[in-house]
Amino acid sequence: MTDQDTKRQPRVPEQLGQEIGGRGRVYFENVVIDNILDALLELSATVYAHRDRVAVLEKVLEEKGIAVSDAIEAHVPDEAELAVRAEERSAMVERIFGAFLRRPTHQIGDAAEMPKE
Amino acid sequence: MDRGMIGVLPRPTKLEDESYLEFVTSFRKFMIGDGFPIMAANGEAEIGRQIEAGNLEAPAEGGQLPLDKVEQVFAKVPVVPTWQRFVRSQQEMMWRGTRASFMRQADAILDRMDAAEASNPNNIHYDPAFQAPDYTRCEIHCQPGGYTDDPLGGVVFHYGTKVFYEGFNDQDELHKELADKATAPSDGKVSKVLDVACSIGQATTVLKTRFPDAEVWGLDVGRPLIRYAHMRATEAGSDVQFKQALAEDTGFRDGEFDMILSYILFHEVPVPKMIEILAETYRILRPGGVFSIFEFPNNNLGELPPGYRFMIENDSRDNCEPYSPEFVASDFRGLLEGAGFALEDGPAASNEFLQSIVARKPA
Repeated sequence: MTDQDTKRQPRVPEQLGQEIGGRGRVYFENVVIDNILDALLELSATVYAHRDRVAVLEKVLEEKGIAVSDAIEAHVPDEAELAVRAEERSAMVERIFGAFLRRPTHQIGDAAEMPKE
Repeated sequence: MDRGMIGVLPRPTKLEDESYLEFVTSFRKFMIGDGFPIMAANGEAEIGRQIEAGNLEAPAEGGQLPLDKVEQVFAKVPVVPTWQRFVRSQQEMMWRGTRASFMRQADAILDRMDAAEASNPNNIHYDPAFQAPDYTRCEIHCQPGGYTDDPLGGVVFHYGTKVFYEGFNDQDELHKELADKATAPSDGKVSKVLDVACSIGQATTVLKTRFPDAEVWGLDVGRPLIRYAHMRATEAGSDVQFKQALAEDTGFRDGEFDMILSYILFHEVPVPKMIEILAETYRILRPGGVFSIFEFPNNNLGELPPGYRFMIENDSRDNCEPYSPEFVASDFRGLLEGAGFALEDGPAASNEFLQSIVARKPA
């Protein structure tokens, strides 16, 4: 290769993204609904992230008998634990967001429109 | 602290990032897997109601409702904008969360790619003056900077698509399967193989494992992607070549390759470019060589249901897939045959969404 200086360490912009930057997409006539749904989604992700950390903390405490933040960061879940966490995560998603699929229209949905029992 | 790797997958730099992105993964799975059929069924039911009420003209036998009419009707069904909102939001969260996490280690990641180039300079090929044409620089799937403009684009793509694949490609399982299913020439001679639009080289290295004596190349327009691909291959001890170039102007000689593989390339280029790529692929493949294609489904006969057409249009507009509707409506097989290939159905992928085509250059 040539021109080593120009190809090494390109500057990494902090902000990038014409698509996800800016004012964002709007899907409802009342933009407040868009904002509420975005807030709900971010809130849910945040709640999950905290919940996940506690779960990991408890696991590490169980293994080590003492709380150490590095130990939490280094924890590698085994397959069984991953499966349990994935199942709980899916259940949480369905608990919080099931309503949006339960009432997909302003008309009363029939049983066939229900995502799952 | 460096949280290391899980197999071939880099870990986000904080547990909270990883948890956040796992939530996004589960949400995505729910909203697309469970939500899309409900959204589509409700939209299509509303079309039926509107036709029955005489507010909408039914399409002629064998015809289809114009897309703008589909969109008008769907827009009135509350689950539709809800679904659109959530699908768009989770996509933004995926990229924001991924990029913000790996930005914390930006210097270290760039150093690793530089170190790979320094230690293994003969396996990466690009011209520092190369300018990616505008059509390649759109932010496909909303990835910040797209494939070409973010120096961290490789690692961001890697973890972002881990979320996209909802956990079934964490260890490159899908790419391994497709590389293993790529069809070899009938005469069994495989001395040179190309993974066109190789992205971060997930299939390229598998092709080398499958054909250890062959010269294996990965080609992509995104320099951040091939730099990351080269770093991964170098660190894994895989002797593959990566090149930044356009798929329609590869710079390879006539008849150089025995096998070529492409995975979901063609719906990401305009149809005129697709035609150029098919001609170029045909040119660099030797007589008797095989081009294995795994791609989005397409249908030029107007047989797609309204919900699917709505989804493709929505994906094009709001997930930055500007070229996919044109691809989906194209006569892809006809264009392949027009380029000179003889076609047959390829081996099915476990991801049943994909179509699989084996395109042979006549011997």
